[in-house]
Amino acid sequence: MSVKEAIKNVESYVGERFPVEKMNYASMVQKKEVPVHQLSWGYYIGGLALFLFIVQIFTGLMLLFYYQPTVSDAHASVEYITEHVPGGALVRNIHSWASSMMIAAVMIHLLTTFAMKAFARPREITWITGVVLLGVTFMFGFTGYLLPWHQIAVNATKIGLQTIEEIGQYLPGELATWPRAIKETIQGEASVGQATLSRFFALHVIILPLSIAAMLGIHLLSVQLHGMSAGVDEAPKRKEKFFPTFFLKDLKVWGVAFLVLFILGLCVPFESFFAYPLFSPFDPKGSTPDGIKPEWYFFWVYYPLELLPFWMIMLGQVVLGAVLVATPWIFQNTNRRAMRLLAVAAGIYLIVMTLFGENIYHLFKG
Amino acid sequence: MIDVFLLIGLPYLALVTALVAGVWRWRNRRYSLSARSSQFLEDRQLLWGSAPWHIGIIVVLLGHIAAAAFPQIWSAILTVPGAVFIIETIGVAASLLAIAGLCTLVVRRLTSARLQAVTTNADLIVVALLLAQILLGLITATDYRYGSVWSTGTVVPYFWSIVTLHPEMSYVADFPMLFKLHIVGGWLFILVLPFTRLIHLLAVPIHYLGRAPQLVIWNNARRRQHAVVATIKAESRRAFLKGTAGVAGATGLMALGVSEKLANFFKGPRPDPEAESELLKKKLERLQQTAQERQLELERQRSNFIFVARYGELTETKGKYFTDYAMAPGLAFKGKDGLPIVLSAKCTHLGCTVGSEVDGQGRVLCPCHISYFSIATGQPNDGAPAKLPLPPIGWALMDEAGKEVASRQPGQPLQGKVDAELLKKCGLYITKPVKSV
Amino acid sequence: MMRTSPIILLVLFVATPALHANPEFHRFIVKNSGRSVDCALCHVNRDGPEGTGPGQVGHLTPAELEKLGRARAALAPGMKPESPILNLFGNHIINSIGKQKFAELRLAPEQLAKTLPKDSDLDHDGIPDAQEYLDGTHPLMKSDGRPWLLFKNNLRTNLLQILLATGATVIGLFGLRHLLNGFAIAVNTDENDEDENKEQHP
Repeated sequence: MSVKEAIKNVESYVGERFPVEKMNYASMVQKKEVPVHQLSWGYYIGGLALFLFIVQIFTGLMLLFYYQPTVSDAHASVEYITEHVPGGALVRNIHSWASSMMIAAVMIHLLTTFAMKAFARPREITWITGVVLLGVTFMFGFTGYLLPWHQIAVNATKIGLQTIEEIGQYLPGELATWPRAIKETIQGEASVGQATLSRFFALHVIILPLSIAAMLGIHLLSVQLHGMSAGVDEAPKRKEKFFPTFFLKDLKVWGVAFLVLFILGLCVPFESFFAYPLFSPFDPKGSTPDGIKPEWYFFWVYYPLELLPFWMIMLGQVVLGAVLVATPWIFQNTNRRAMRLLAVAAGIYLIVMTLFGENIYHLFKG
Repeated sequence: MIDVFLLIGLPYLALVTALVAGVWRWRNRRYSLSARSSQFLEDRQLLWGSAPWHIGIIVVLLGHIAAAAFPQIWSAILTVPGAVFIIETIGVAASLLAIAGLCTLVVRRLTSARLQAVTTNADLIVVALLLAQILLGLITATDYRYGSVWSTGTVVPYFWSIVTLHPEMSYVADFPMLFKLHIVGGWLFILVLPFTRLIHLLAVPIHYLGRAPQLVIWNNARRRQHAVVATIKAESRRAFLKGTAGVAGATGLMALGVSEKLANFFKGPRPDPEAESELLKKKLERLQQTAQERQLELERQRSNFIFVARYGELTETKGKYFTDYAMAPGLAFKGKDGLPIVLSAKCTHLGCTVGSEVDGQGRVLCPCHISYFSIATGQPNDGAPAKLPLPPIGWALMDEAGKEVASRQPGQPLQGKVDAELLKKCGLYITKPVKSV
Repeated sequence: MMRTSPIILLVLFVATPALHANPEFHRFIVKNSGRSVDCALCHVNRDGPEGTGPGQVGHLTPAELEKLGRARAALAPGMKPESPILNLFGNHIINSIGKQKFAELRLAPEQLAKTLPKDSDLDHDGIPDAQEYLDGTHPLMKSDGRPWLLFKNNLRTNLLQILLATGATVIGLFGLRHLLNGFAIAVNTDENDEDENKEQHP
């Protein structure tokens, strides 16, 4: 293949994914139509995740007005927000609830798009950016978790980072020391401390938001360019206009989400689900309190990790990551029925592990 | 005397006249019960005048009517905290909106020759009256605050006394002139109602709100061609208007329910001195804790020995926590042979801090994933998640003079010799690990 | 999905708690509620009164030690003991039932909830202190309590705000619907205009 041909191929590949002739208001907003069928509800989940992200930006910026990212002041400033600042408890609680809801929405979004085979050509880029967004969202959760600097936060982060070091035991020779070096680079020092807090803070409030904004831009642009994927095999009986019909329905979903979030934020403190000693300020000299669990959205990998050997989980993770990234090519020729079955199976696994993981753990480990 | 005329005579004069003339006009000039639209003469300014004016005045009027018709319910609503404030705010905002709209309409009348041709003297009188009346009401609202509250015990009974033919002016006789003028203005409107275009009030066009907009246009071929487009435009304009009203209403409610909190969020708390000193104390404690840690760190970098405990404080059943050279927790026990056992307390599995209680089999527990470590060897139990033993830490015993009595480095035999009497006076230190080359 | 490694610690209540001043109560709460608690439920310091940290005996000034001595002698109820090692709830217990009764209750810690005043709610979260004691939630933390109970109480207190927010959402959606419709109509009109212009000037 000559260079010229190669360039041409690249051009046509990119051109198909980002058709310049469609980049205008008329075809991206006015002409866009959304199919109506029994899986149509899946079309709202992505928008819901977007709404929750917007909520996170607003509440996060508000928390930034009072939060102080130093080991001596972080916990005190969070306490100050919840106990003294007017409406501070509400803002912080909404931030916690919305983070959980956002991760749930993103996970459901992944499953529905998978089931609807919405990654088929020319939507590969949409899928890949989506997978990256999922990763960034989980990183948001992990970095944000440390910031209050209470017992559960610091201990959980310590152990989470420790798993990186664990990989070292399976690597040969000189390579075995790398994971430790990587861990300490992330931490910024030998153990979780001020350097870690500063780094996680920077990640959580600057680097991750910027990267999510960039990825989200590409993601949304390609969604609007290519329109909604058909989602089902039979041709849809009815289509509705994206603007204003579908967009309005989207807004209604957002309105309900806002109300739910507002009521939960006002009435159910997120921390009331945990024993209170976990929220006392981190004390490096004392012992670790009982009852530390990861956030619920890590249960699906946490409980298997408890039950199975470490290398199996690591291998599983690598395979899962690779499969997710390569999904548009692996499942190119799979039919939608099979996709749906796979998605349902994955969904059931996630739900069972999240709800009954602890019971399963006790079943095997007594 | 003048009060009697204005507050009792005028009302009955107005009511009787309005009734008689109104019935006459309704029976004989039925199709004149309108506001005489001038939309086809000028429709651009009309929108910006008529809509705000009508929205504003309808809100204000409904408030007056509600208070007069259902004084009990009205008072009950006002007892809700914040309700008075909200209602007064809405009232003032609505009358300002009405004034703005009315002014636009006046300017429109005065600047368009076409419109002046269809303007009667009665119209000008009505406009002047309306302006005066709203201004009077507005001044009353700002000068004699919370009229929504005090009116239910004064103006409302007065109004009902007139209507039920038992006139009683003592309810309002003591009000300042300003407010009496506002009352008089109200009766004046009833008086002029049947003689002016105000009569359209009686033909309340509620169904207009729901119906498709109608346009009054010249009827010729060119105009007809554009009539469809114009209708669509009017429709979208109406949608915009409704939309703006909705969004504005939502913003208002938000301001009441949520945004008020947000404003205070940015303003920040203003704690009382006691709470403030509590806060400062807490902050200081945390700072001291951090300073202590920094101190520990510095000490570990500078000195070759770190004090752990007096020998006498060590026991076989409960370990003593300390911070080792890596700033990680460590534990010190007394062994069976009477020598200290010094171990890292950082679990070799995932780094939790190991507990300090020694169980019957001479083991300590890591609570995170249940690994039992023998304190004698540091080894974890079989099948524990932790695979590696807790590493021992080099230690030295020194007497009061700072002379080393005994020491042991990990993996090396004991140095020096121990004697029970001497040990009691000793302190346990950990020694700086030698950097392996 | 691969980004972060999971957090790995586990709740297990098997771990025996460290030494406590009143282990009977501690054990009862954990067993009764299934929630873990620490000494900060009643004491100033979460590691209990023994030690040299803030709020522990070794950290007290002579004046505070004297106060402690007086508080320890508060055998009968109602003596307002301001013990420097106890927090508000701890002092509340001693004040309402007396030190002597408290010591007797060590044999039957479940009785403590019945002897505490029914209507006292120190953190104003709507759950009485006695209930919080049984639930293993902190009687001095507004945000700590059984989620369902907190939900019910907060819903009652914040009903007005919730109604306002609901109203705002409904009206706001109504407004947005009309704005968007108006916008769509207006855009369509422009198109029609253009179409007509094209027809008029072929």
